[in-house]
Amino acid sequence: MTLKRMTFLQHLLAFLGLEGRLHLEWISSAEAQKFVATVTGFTETIRRLGPSPLRTASLARSENVLTAPMRRSGCPGLSQTVVPEDGTKIVNG
Amino acid sequence: MTPIQQQVKNWLEEKRVDIFLAYRILDGHPLPHAFTREHIEETAELVTGPARYSLEKFATHIASRYPAARIGMVARDCNQRALNVLRVWNQLKDGQVETVPVTCCPSHLHHHADCSYLEPHPAGAVKQQLGQAPNQSLAEVEAQPAAERLDRWLYEFQKCIKCYGCRNICPVCFCKECSLEHAELIGTGHLPPDIPIFHLVRAVHMAGRCVDCGLCEDACPAEIPLRLLYRKVNAIVKDLFDYETGSGDTLPPFSILGDKPTMSPMPLLAAAQE
Repeated sequence: MTLKRMTFLQHLLAFLGLEGRLHLEWISSAEAQKFVATVTGFTETIRRLGPSPLRTASLARSENVLTAPMRRSGCPGLSQTVVPEDGTKIVNG
Repeated sequence: MTPIQQQVKNWLEEKRVDIFLAYRILDGHPLPHAFTREHIEETAELVTGPARYSLEKFATHIASRYPAARIGMVARDCNQRALNVLRVWNQLKDGQVETVPVTCCPSHLHHHADCSYLEPHPAGAVKQQLGQAPNQSLAEVEAQPAAERLDRWLYEFQKCIKCYGCRNICPVCFCKECSLEHAELIGTGHLPPDIPIFHLVRAVHMAGRCVDCGLCEDACPAEIPLRLLYRKVNAIVKDLFDYETGSGDTLPPFSILGDKPTMSPMPLLAAAQE
């Protein structure tokens, strides 16, 4: 059951764009070395992936809900300073 | 009287069903209505058409209160799939609900469609740039780079006003206690709700249940493409477990241990018998 649920969740998270951050392993209490190897290996995997995009997204949301996707698509974010062509300075948010 | 009005009237008069769920025009709107023998004259106002509601949800409520009631209802394909799911999940008894089939809407779980009622509108400029257009195929979503895909989904999710409309309309949401209202699973008192947890919890619970009726997306005031998300849920369930939700009367993969339901003795019992 756990295997089924976790496999399902891995696919679902990948669909959202969060791949490789979920890992499942059966380790007996007698398999200390396997535990060490698994945790070390997965820690390295996570480190390579970098900080969670959800964390940066939630930080961006605390400034303004729209800034994160707007930054990506090159829109002027609402917290940025916009200088129109006539030189007047407009500061939003 | 139209043929369907006559049929419903006959069913009620013959006591084939005690209550019939369909739609009735009220103040110019087709609203869900329960037709009964006591008010048989109302069957003249029964209508069919593009109006949709999870009538089977009413059926489960009626069945839980009056277990002996025989229920009739008009059913599109999505209603029929939902009835199958509700029977598999023990919310309705075999043969408790009799249906009158009516014209259906398109769905990936149904390979032929007679009406295009729920083909989503093309996405507007903002949604195209920042969000996920509801009428994309799964392959189109998956073709987006992972970081962009996540941003687009988060843009959709952060519009959520936590109205629970998706859950309330859902024909296969029947739990007495809902995880979405569990304060320790999903924080309360702020908007948007915890994202993407709120939407993921619902998506996970749709595995083996979602019948792709699209009522959630229809109900969503924030226009979050929920049907698209749950279509992926269905696709995963189909790919991993070869289970087509609502298509038959086998238990979903998350309700059974192992790959297939089995009636053979458990290993320990089998060993004891040898």
